[in-house]
Amino acid sequence: MENNKFKTNEIAIFLTLPLKRETITMNALIPSVLRRGSATYKNQIEIGKQLENMYGAFFNCGIDKTGDYCILKFYIETLSDRFLPNGETVSQKSMDMLWDIIFNPLADNNSFNKEYVKQEKENLRKIIESKKDNKELYAFDRCIEEMFKNDSYGIYKNGYIEDLEKINESNLYEYYKQIINDCKIDIILNGIDAKSISINKEIYNKDNTTVLKKSEKKNKKINMVKEKADVIQGKLILGLRAPEKNKYAISLYNAILGGGANSKLFQNVREKASLAYSIGSRYIRRKDVILIITGIELKNYEKALRIIKQQINEMKSGNITNEELEKSRQLIISSLDMLKESQENMISFEFDQKLFKENLTIDKYKEKIEKITLKEVIDIAQKVEIDTIYYLEK
Amino acid sequence: MKIIENKQIDEKVYTEELENGMKVIIIPKKNTNKKYIIWGTKFGSNDNHFIEPTTNKEIKVPDGVAHYLEHKMFEQENGEDSLYVLMALGLDANAYTTNDHTAYLFACTDNFYKGLDELMDYVQHPYFTDENVEKERGIIGQEIQRYDDEPMWKLYINTVRCLYDKNPITIDTAGTIETISHITKETLYSCYNTFYHPSNMIMCISGDFEVKKIIEEVKKRLLPKKKIDKIKRIYPQYEPDINKKYIEKTMDVNMPQFMIGYRDFMQNESMIKKNIAIKIICNCIIGKCSKTYQELYEKGLIMRELDFDFEFGEHYSHILISGESNKPKEIYEKITLELQNETITEEDFERSRKRLYGELVTEYDDVENIGRMYLSDSIKGIDSMKYIDEVQRITLKDVNKIKEEIFIKEKSVLSIIKNK
Repeated sequence: MENNKFKTNEIAIFLTLPLKRETITMNALIPSVLRRGSATYKNQIEIGKQLENMYGAFFNCGIDKTGDYCILKFYIETLSDRFLPNGETVSQKSMDMLWDIIFNPLADNNSFNKEYVKQEKENLRKIIESKKDNKELYAFDRCIEEMFKNDSYGIYKNGYIEDLEKINESNLYEYYKQIINDCKIDIILNGIDAKSISINKEIYNKDNTTVLKKSEKKNKKINMVKEKADVIQGKLILGLRAPEKNKYAISLYNAILGGGANSKLFQNVREKASLAYSIGSRYIRRKDVILIITGIELKNYEKALRIIKQQINEMKSGNITNEELEKSRQLIISSLDMLKESQENMISFEFDQKLFKENLTIDKYKEKIEKITLKEVIDIAQKVEIDTIYYLEK
Repeated sequence: MKIIENKQIDEKVYTEELENGMKVIIIPKKNTNKKYIIWGTKFGSNDNHFIEPTTNKEIKVPDGVAHYLEHKMFEQENGEDSLYVLMALGLDANAYTTNDHTAYLFACTDNFYKGLDELMDYVQHPYFTDENVEKERGIIGQEIQRYDDEPMWKLYINTVRCLYDKNPITIDTAGTIETISHITKETLYSCYNTFYHPSNMIMCISGDFEVKKIIEEVKKRLLPKKKIDKIKRIYPQYEPDINKKYIEKTMDVNMPQFMIGYRDFMQNESMIKKNIAIKIICNCIIGKCSKTYQELYEKGLIMRELDFDFEFGEHYSHILISGESNKPKEIYEKITLELQNETITEEDFERSRKRLYGELVTEYDDVENIGRMYLSDSIKGIDSMKYIDEVQRITLKDVNKIKEEIFIKEKSVLSIIKNK
């Protein structure tokens, strides 16, 4: 992607792996071990100094899940060469550095550095143990876990404590070698002319995307889960199942239900009933689910739930005005336009489109949204079902 | 009109003071479709005691009133809510309240002028009734409880309560369930009439605009008002020392969180210079490339780079350093000692300066960052562009002087959120 819009450039490298319970903890550990040091920059100080010398280049990496894939993402953001004092350049250097961290790790005798692995295992253990510290996020993750008990998407992306003791510097290295060989590697550059950057083609040309397996649909009865924690406000999450087809209509359904201040949930739960400060819904497109997220006073659980269910039923019975539809369409169109204004979002969009072989540009995507009719949305509404109601209470 | 240009980063900033006293700052950006406008008033949670200009009466208002007022501004007499009107136009609209200002804003690619109509209309037309003020109490109550479940917010408010005793910076921005129960439509009107005068307001606009034209568009939409003098606010006496050294609170967290605070007692030094110096000091001594950070990381005492912040206004100025650790007291001892005793090498200084330069220029990548930065800086009387000049001018000697005067272990405080 080329443009002169930004003062910075971004390079992102994605490693796509299957999402599996057996390998998730190792996957989570790999970026944190790699970022500790490479063959060229042996420790965090050397990496950090190099980044600062490149005028505060920003490097980060992490793990995410999308659909049935596990994604390891590494990226670096630097000032465009034209804004550097004294005619310096950093774009090739930043590519080299990112490459070095991922593909040229600090290793000998077929092992990662022993200390690094030991310390990062310990850090990961703390991260997993602390997952309940952010109550809202915890409730969200727990609802997904409940919805996908028999599907890999229910896996916690940072892994599991019981796996840690089996992992050591040599079996992790062995696993790393294997995934580097087998995984799909995508490189996306923004702001830099790809021709001006040299990359190691030998590694880059592989494409071994794993085939998506279909997840089974859950039971008909609503799964009610209540959990206790020391909270002042109750965190209520509803997980809904949406159809697989016509994702553009589902986007609109989601926007009408809980996208922004004009949505049914915001208007009725917050504005009319004064029950919540934040309420909204989120569509996880790659798993065909919609999550409703809110925080309420503990005594208002029944009342809030009743009003939320009412809104879902209103939509089922076709009580959606043209005005609601158009406002929601406008909301989606505007946020698509806004995507083009952020490098990070453009890169994520591009990657997602390629990964799931939709290959749409942002403008083509907008056209699809423009065409969705009220009938299509109501048709979706009739197929959406509540799957799980999760409540974190005191 | 005042024009400031920085050729190196290719940016120009236009500032115009209108006849009614309102300041308008325009930062034009070519090659972008995104437009951003933010309109702020110098009225935040700190301003709870003032002289009402019309009656000349001294007024004290309940904690959380600036934030309550922000929520209620959207309500219109015709029954419409301006937030919904803006969102329906496809604009990304919002508002927020801090300790020293309240701001109303939107970002968009299309419909900018329709949005401008609505924004300038609702901010200039308050409509408060007993009923609509009452309705908001439950919503804000849930916003307060949401903060109550956030360890970071408690950690912060406890730290400033160690640094100061009576300074209004110690007030919860949104107030408490108790304090907001005393807010009525009369309180809101009194605050609105005092603080929402153009002379007390600043507007920042960034995007692909022609400067003269956009200023005319803004003027056209302003109600006629005469410039007034500075509003008289009453603050408690200056506190010459910290309030207490230590505070802890137990919450349902696995990993304890800590925040270290330093008051800045240094007079007669530019805030811009201090701000840059503090970032350089923290980066060199406890930042990611420092040996202290490395040591703490390898021992498993910290897991990520610490956060540094320099927060200041007319009546407060302090540094906050925060992170998570199983042994927060040990971290505190180590960090405060290093900050007091460790010296900064020329090499570390130069490298940190480069990093800071890069970060400052990156701010200009997004019209939203630009608008927010110019508003919050100009509320404090600071010209944002000066940071880029200063980072290139500052010397190691300047930095060392500031380090010696501010990072005194005895004058530091520690706040901890413990696990059960």
